Amino acid sequence: MSGAELGQIAVNATLLSGILALVALGFSLVWGIMNIVNLSHGAFIVIGAYLTYWMHELWNVDPFLSVPVSMAVLFGLGYFLQRSLINQIIRAPLLATFLLTFGLEILIVNLLNFFFKADTRSVMTPYSGTGFTIGAVRVPYIRLGALGVSTVLVLLLGAFLTRSRLGRAIRGTGMDIDAARLTGVKAPTIYALTFAIGASLAGAAGSLLSMVVPFDPNLGGGYTERAFVICVLGGLGNVVNVLIGAAVYSVVEVFVGSRLPALSQAVTFGILVILLVVRPQGIAGKSFN
Amino acid sequence: MRRTLCSAAGLLLGSMTVLAADTIVFGAAISITGKTAKEGEYTRDGYQFAVDKINELGGIKVGGKTYRVELKYYDDETKPERTAQLIEKLINEDKVNLILGPYGSSPTGTAAPIVERYKIPMVEANGSAEAIFSKGYKYTFMILSPAKNYLRGVIDTILAKDPSVKTVAILGENEAFSKEVAGGAADFAKEKGLDVVYYELYPTNAQDVSALLTAIKGKNPHIILGSGHLQDSLLIVKQAKDLGVSPRAMGFSVGPSSPEFRANLGKAADYVFGATQWTEVLKYNGEDAWKTPKAFGDAFRSKHPNYKIVPYQVAESAVAVIAYQKAIEKAGTIEPTKVRDSLAALDIMTFYGRIKFDSRGVNVYKPMAAEQYQPDGNKYTVWPFDVAEKPALYPMPPWDKR
Repeated sequence: MSGAELGQIAVNATLLSGILALVALGFSLVWGIMNIVNLSHGAFIVIGAYLTYWMHELWNVDPFLSVPVSMAVLFGLGYFLQRSLINQIIRAPLLATFLLTFGLEILIVNLLNFFFKADTRSVMTPYSGTGFTIGAVRVPYIRLGALGVSTVLVLLLGAFLTRSRLGRAIRGTGMDIDAARLTGVKAPTIYALTFAIGASLAGAAGSLLSMVVPFDPNLGGGYTERAFVICVLGGLGNVVNVLIGAAVYSVVEVFVGSRLPALSQAVTFGILVILLVVRPQGIAGKSFN
Repeated sequence: MRRTLCSAAGLLLGSMTVLAADTIVFGAAISITGKTAKEGEYTRDGYQFAVDKINELGGIKVGGKTYRVELKYYDDETKPERTAQLIEKLINEDKVNLILGPYGSSPTGTAAPIVERYKIPMVEANGSAEAIFSKGYKYTFMILSPAKNYLRGVIDTILAKDPSVKTVAILGENEAFSKEVAGGAADFAKEKGLDVVYYELYPTNAQDVSALLTAIKGKNPHIILGSGHLQDSLLIVKQAKDLGVSPRAMGFSVGPSSPEFRANLGKAADYVFGATQWTEVLKYNGEDAWKTPKAFGDAFRSKHPNYKIVPYQVAESAVAVIAYQKAIEKAGTIEPTKVRDSLAALDIMTFYGRIKFDSRGVNVYKPMAAEQYQPDGNKYTVWPFDVAEKPALYPMPPWDKR
């Protein structure tokens, strides 16, 4: 393997890990705080992708500028879904949460299929496919921009959870809901906010993905899986764990993908299995601390 | 949306009239959702279009009796195991007379043993992996050219333009059909004296092929060939542009033939070659209701104005129904085993090309064509040369010089 190829692999992995961290972040937050494995996370991502697509298509809004809009819309949707549906099963057994969120995923994907058809879409901008070169290594602008947006959102969420009063309330609720209640935290509101933040992060990820990969209503499932693997790899608990999980996942996917593409998923899941044996606490489902 | 409603209504009507006598019901499991949802839609529309046409012309005449035809289909969600269940349901519960194939080689592969067991023929229009036909099945018939021939037209076109090309990189989706396409392309390239410098399969549902393209860039091949489905082809072109991978020519088995290829890629779609089973400019003169590819295309568009270009999946799906019509008329009965024998002996010319099956049930008698998007925004058939609309543009300019 040449140095140039190695460099390109490193750059590709870095750029991918930024987007994947954002994909997994909201998933991890909802899982960690509410103990809900949100199988409809991927569907939220697809909604974000469609919002960006239509804003670009109808009003020529730059896809990067539509990220906040996607986030706001999905924040609203997430808040509403939590208050109306998810809250009903918040203390139900795990299976009930799986069923509800899985059903939600199917509902959203089929609605998208109904309204937008199965047509494959991509957001193409004048700067799509352009980039700069360092030596023999190429850095596409869009992926770099996506990495930038992801980094900012990851840092903002990290700061929000540790520095702000509301963020501390969210983490407190995740640690011990009864204790949080005793100190005056309104748990239903906190849960709704947590789910809404998770959905809005999915929306941002969808907006960014719409520029990077061609998509249709079925895009989301694969990203729910990736988010799950990243959360298990990194472990729940805090933002840094998600970053570690996303970095490990990306390096494996890109590196193995360039040498033995047919095996890349086998290797990723193989590492997951080994990790579960060696470090089972990765899946302990700890809350944010 | 309106079309969905119409077809939903059609489905309802279809199931209501199943019990009426004098109706031949074709059953199918098609991917209306899932990865190949778009191609499934083409398949469904093609079947339905031919069924409507036959009814419009009075139905199928069998020994003095006239049968109307109906299509009854379910969504297999692009899951091959679901296809198999639905085919069983269609045969056992819905009592359909004959089976039309699903979309894709894997679902066709799971459907084939079921129809074999019940001795009900299946004419399939969208599964071209020959692996299905190496098992000695007698009831499955492939109307289209087999997978291993897919990229031959593209390789021939490039070699005709530039005999100096030496190296080719091939990347394919790790799935029954695409694997055969990739393998067939590699064999054909070697036969033509090319050096296959890169050959890899990537997992289904890959969302990132930049790693493979990086490895290919290091090999600097003259040609890059991809065998996957529409989304894969889009991803490869998009990321090749991102990474500045500029071969002299790029070609894909599936993707460029669909209008969405250019809708998604814009100018990046230009110069890319695509394999196709059929295009509207081919010069066939068939014995079916439409006779020529052009007449079929025009008739389909007048019914489905949302299609600017008629994808080959629509044509091959429609011709599967026509093959049944001709076979039933020749058999003089709708008894499934007799229809099967009649299919095995069929040799007809259609708007889609010649339909004749070899002893395995594969239509090896129809050639593949090649198409290319050109900078004026249109797609042209560039191979076979004798029916080409325009000469192929070659080489592909590097991404940064466009």
